[in-house]
Amino acid sequence: MNATSRLILIIVSMLLLSGTHTKAGPLPQGLIALDGRAAPALTLSDMDGRSFDLKDSRGHWVFVHFWASWCGPCRREMPTIQRLAAAMENTALEIVLVNTAETDDEVFTFLGIVAPDLESLMDRDGLVTERWQPRGLPSSFLVDPAGRLRYVALGGRVWDSPDYVAFLRRLATP
Amino acid sequence: MMRSSVSILLIHFYLIIVTFFATGVSLVAGDDKQEELVVETDALKFRLVPRTPAQMAAFYEGRGFPGAALKEVKKTCFMTAVIRNKSQTVIWLEPERWRFLTDKGELQRLDRSYWRSKWRQLNIPQAKRSTFGWTLLPETRDLRPDEPVGGNIVLPLTDQPFSLEARFATGSDKRGKEIIVRFDTLRCPQDPIQP
Repeated sequence: MNATSRLILIIVSMLLLSGTHTKAGPLPQGLIALDGRAAPALTLSDMDGRSFDLKDSRGHWVFVHFWASWCGPCRREMPTIQRLAAAMENTALEIVLVNTAETDDEVFTFLGIVAPDLESLMDRDGLVTERWQPRGLPSSFLVDPAGRLRYVALGGRVWDSPDYVAFLRRLATP
Repeated sequence: MMRSSVSILLIHFYLIIVTFFATGVSLVAGDDKQEELVVETDALKFRLVPRTPAQMAAFYEGRGFPGAALKEVKKTCFMTAVIRNKSQTVIWLEPERWRFLTDKGELQRLDRSYWRSKWRQLNIPQAKRSTFGWTLLPETRDLRPDEPVGGNIVLPLTDQPFSLEARFATGSDKRGKEIIVRFDTLRCPQDPIQP
């Protein structure tokens, strides 16, 4: 192997290892790439009894967000998710909220004040959340069209900031 | 003798020892004054907020925790820790490596296994166990650059002052320079006596 090929190999390896560039462009700050393992099962109902199964969402990207009303960062982040949902309305990204172990009253009151346009699935005993092993609450995962975990956000994020919206738009564009 | 002194010096070179006498900052929220202790270095920011038993019981009562659970909460000493990794490398949160020391000895942190067994014994509903778990500081976390983490650490209630020596490994393989943060003269705050 000559010096030029060696240099190209090193550069390609560094790019692959850096994990900061994706098919959807540069990874915005605060998102980390995951290893692509299969997303855990997510079958829950919302407050009106409508059921959701993540398996039925194959073929498009899904933003899965775990939250609780008592957590301060969740309170700050939720309005930004509502604005993100509005910004992504005509795209293939599906936004799924999962409340962790709270009651209908708590969730209804919180969302009514903080993000009235959003609805949430109810993980009433918290066991689904535990299976997903988030890094804390709030926590957001991006699941790819094949049902694999691709990215996780570190802590609460300002989801309607231009970097995130642009990144998610690129992901959602086939 | 000489060799051991040199060894100690070398160890000190390998460690970043950050010893701060934490300064109390009063935060005022309505009439409720809450002391917040802060240590900030180039690598991390560490905030510690001691809570009174009544504050913590009120928090969990507001979330529908049963009386038996509140009784247990009131018997203990809660401190909310919020840490942010300001460095460009991984910092390992491992409260198991933290030491809470009084003049009379070490205070043993009441970790998740303690609470799991307590809640099982008291037959506390699963949803409440889950919520309680999420309010605790994680037992381990590879904090990435700019990542925050927060949660409660729980100790047996004591009227003695104590210190916290918190050790953090660094680097994804934990082989980086260790960070040691120290808070001195901590206390479990008591609720004011009602007239």
